[in-house]
Amino acid sequence: MTPLQNFFDPGILGQAAFAVVVSFTFAGALIAVLPRNILYSVLGLILCLTGVGGIFLYLGSPFIALMELLIYVGAICISIVFAIMLSYPLHLSLPKRKLPKVAGAFSVALLVFGVLITIIFRTPWQPAAVRSTDWSVNTLGAYLLTRYDLAFEVISIVLLVAILGAILISSISGRRSS
Amino acid sequence: MNSLTTYLFIAAALFVIGVFGLLQRRSLIGMLIAIELMLNGASVNFMAFNRFLAPDPIIGQVYTLFIMGFAAAETIIALSIIIAVFRRIHSINIEQARNLRG
Amino acid sequence: MTVNLAWTQDPNLLAAALSALTPFAAFALIMLFARPHARLSAGISIAAVGVSLAGAVFLLVRNWSLPAPIQITGRWLISGDIIIPFGFLLDPLSLLMLTIVATISCLVQVYSLGYMAGDPGFSRYFGFQSLFAWAMLTLTISPTMIQLYIFWELVGLASYFLIGFWYEKFSASEAGKKAFVMTRLGDIAFFLGLLVVLIHFGNLNILDMNGPQATERLSPVLLTVSALLIFGGVMGKSAQFPLLTWLPDAMEGPTPVSALLHSATMVAAGVYMFARIFPFFSHSANAMTVCLSIGTITMLLSSTMAMVTRDIKQVWAYSTISQLGFMVMGLAAGGYAAGVFHLTTHAGFKALLFLCSGVFIHHYETNDMFVIGRHGGRGLLIPMVCMSLAAAALSGLPPFSGFFSKEAIMGVLAGQHNPIWLAAGLLGAFLTAYYSFRLIFIILRPNPTERVHAETPGGHGNGHHAAGLYWVMAWPLIILAAVTLVLGFFQDPLEAFLARLQTVSGSHGAGHHAWLPIAAVSLALAGTGLAWLEFGRKGAAQMGFVERIPALRALFANRWYLDHVYRRFLDYVIYGTFSNLFTRNDRRVIDGAIDGMCRATIGSGRLLSFVQSGMLQYNLMVMFAALALVALGFYLLG
Repeated sequence: MTPLQNFFDPGILGQAAFAVVVSFTFAGALIAVLPRNILYSVLGLILCLTGVGGIFLYLGSPFIALMELLIYVGAICISIVFAIMLSYPLHLSLPKRKLPKVAGAFSVALLVFGVLITIIFRTPWQPAAVRSTDWSVNTLGAYLLTRYDLAFEVISIVLLVAILGAILISSISGRRSS
Repeated sequence: MNSLTTYLFIAAALFVIGVFGLLQRRSLIGMLIAIELMLNGASVNFMAFNRFLAPDPIIGQVYTLFIMGFAAAETIIALSIIIAVFRRIHSINIEQARNLRG
Repeated sequence: MTVNLAWTQDPNLLAAALSALTPFAAFALIMLFARPHARLSAGISIAAVGVSLAGAVFLLVRNWSLPAPIQITGRWLISGDIIIPFGFLLDPLSLLMLTIVATISCLVQVYSLGYMAGDPGFSRYFGFQSLFAWAMLTLTISPTMIQLYIFWELVGLASYFLIGFWYEKFSASEAGKKAFVMTRLGDIAFFLGLLVVLIHFGNLNILDMNGPQATERLSPVLLTVSALLIFGGVMGKSAQFPLLTWLPDAMEGPTPVSALLHSATMVAAGVYMFARIFPFFSHSANAMTVCLSIGTITMLLSSTMAMVTRDIKQVWAYSTISQLGFMVMGLAAGGYAAGVFHLTTHAGFKALLFLCSGVFIHHYETNDMFVIGRHGGRGLLIPMVCMSLAAAALSGLPPFSGFFSKEAIMGVLAGQHNPIWLAAGLLGAFLTAYYSFRLIFIILRPNPTERVHAETPGGHGNGHHAAGLYWVMAWPLIILAAVTLVLGFFQDPLEAFLARLQTVSGSHGAGHHAWLPIAAVSLALAGTGLAWLEFGRKGAAQMGFVERIPALRALFANRWYLDHVYRRFLDYVIYGTFSNLFTRNDRRVIDGAIDGMCRATIGSGRLLSFVQSGMLQYNLMVMFAALALVALGFYLLG
């Protein structure tokens, strides 16, 4: 095999693609938390969530990947952008960061990371004895409408209540402040 | 590369970056963004367990779907609260909201 | 011998109980109900003390030839093996003292009708007189030292009330306080002595203490220590050196009070107590020697103080201290009967002296003897005559009662090995005669050129009293003068009466020296003559030989600077050191500790309030950190 053929070996290509997706995710996450300009954060969030969709693809569920893109990126991030537009005074200057706060946050985050890593790498993860191999969307749809029908309906109600609540909060606070 | 611990690591990293952002951002919307990151980290975690350990892999996907739905509901409400708070204190700087200072 | 009978059927018990308790009923009645009615209060009080007198005389006559002491007790304090009863002890000494106290109380209360007439506190006065009578009478017939101590303190309390009777006057209330505190000092030693005896001997019954078990159960050292400690009480109450400066100040009270308490009865309580447990004391020769020396010092010191004073009551006050010292000398030298006999006669003529002085003070509204003399004091016949009689008795001139009793004590002193005691006694006799007749002559023969300096504040009430009141005051004087005249001839029956039940017989001055009475009388006459020379004769300078030496005069007038020593001690040691220490401790340590706790609480609260910053993200930080650690903990442990 030539080096070029080696390069385009499916194993290596696959791993390179995985690395690209993971780097999108992390880059997006860092862009979401570090900059002071909120629009940068939102854009970083969008990038991150796209990467997470890719990871879901790697985890064997294209349906979930698409749902991620639709719901998170398409709905949630756009509504965050709307909220920014409606509230944030972008023309005002941003106050400086406070070092103790950042240091405290960093150390706590590090602590939590350490604990999680300890638990991840020290637990002997045992797969279940019998594993089914049915991943398809058909089965998912069937489960949603038969076995997990109650949860499905509850989610709908939750969303309805959330929307009503949001309308209510906005209108009350609007009346109060005006 | 394609093992459970990799994905768990990715999920943990996402979660921790979200924690960092939550504790450090000054604006409410920034905190909301960080919360989204945390939720996503949890979702990746679930999906990883689903892929490698679960006996019935459909369950994990259903669960992740529901997480996304709840995240959406929560974002709606959070945004409306942010708007309400903004109308009251005229800023979305969380350090301005110190009524509970003792 | 202990007799326990149903109490109303035994005449002894009935008489004793009535004697002791009717004054208490009078006190309660007066203080609770009869305060607004002056004459009713006086009537109640005099009636009560009259009942006491009748009871006392009845008991004395009935039990004149008593085979054994009668002790009537009831159970009171019981603690393990220690039993302390309450009740009455009737034996010759207590009956004699009971009679003396009741008689003089009665006479003084009658006299007070005249002296205190018109005083706004008339009822209160008679109430306190009844209180005193109750306390003193029960003290004399106490069967145990504890009961004696309780009533000892009550007598001190009554004395405090009566000395500070005119309490609006600052010096009077100060004098009351001083008397109470000084006697209390002696009482501390007294109580410690009682505790020593109680712990080692087992009970405080007087008859038991006087019995032979005392030497069996207590070692000689303990006997000496307890005797000396108990003598501390005598020092306080009977104004022995160095606790003697309260008695001259106690003259701030009304003169009848001085006559009753501070000459005849209360201060005699110390000597009485000495005589009461005389056998107990006489077991320890060292203690007796110490008592003897203290008595001697007291006698000589106060005689010198009496020689330079201008105040008529102060002379008799110093004289009382001196005679009490003389009595203590007699008892400590072993002369039980002699000491008690002198106590009896002294009660008579000293009360008489004070009551006569009271008439002068009441009439001329001054205590200064020179002023009384200048204003014609000798014109008041009955007081003048009675006072001269009593002064002669005090000096030991025959045929008055004082002669016999002083001779008895001199005889006992002569029986001692060391002649110094007798010499001191004789010197004391000389000085006593000198200062008594100094006063008599100053009043009899006033010097017209004598300049009246700032009058010693004294006197009381208005001098314009009705003739009836005059005779109310005069009759007690006459009665007491008659007693002074004849009591001396009763010496032998009395001594026999006293000695009958004595287990330890004191020395009667064995080897009665014939030259002793002659020496004593001649010294007394010499003192009288010297006084006449300096004060009594026509054209006398009216200045004593001591007063010519200013340094000596200052020394005697300042009471040998004892009061200055006490004041210094108080200021530097008590106030300067202890009070200071305790005040600083109170302010800095105790208050400081509490303030410090407050400040610490507030400070820590302020510190902790920083946690409540109201910043959501800090709370979240803590939450996440805690969560992580708990998870780690659960993971590692489980």
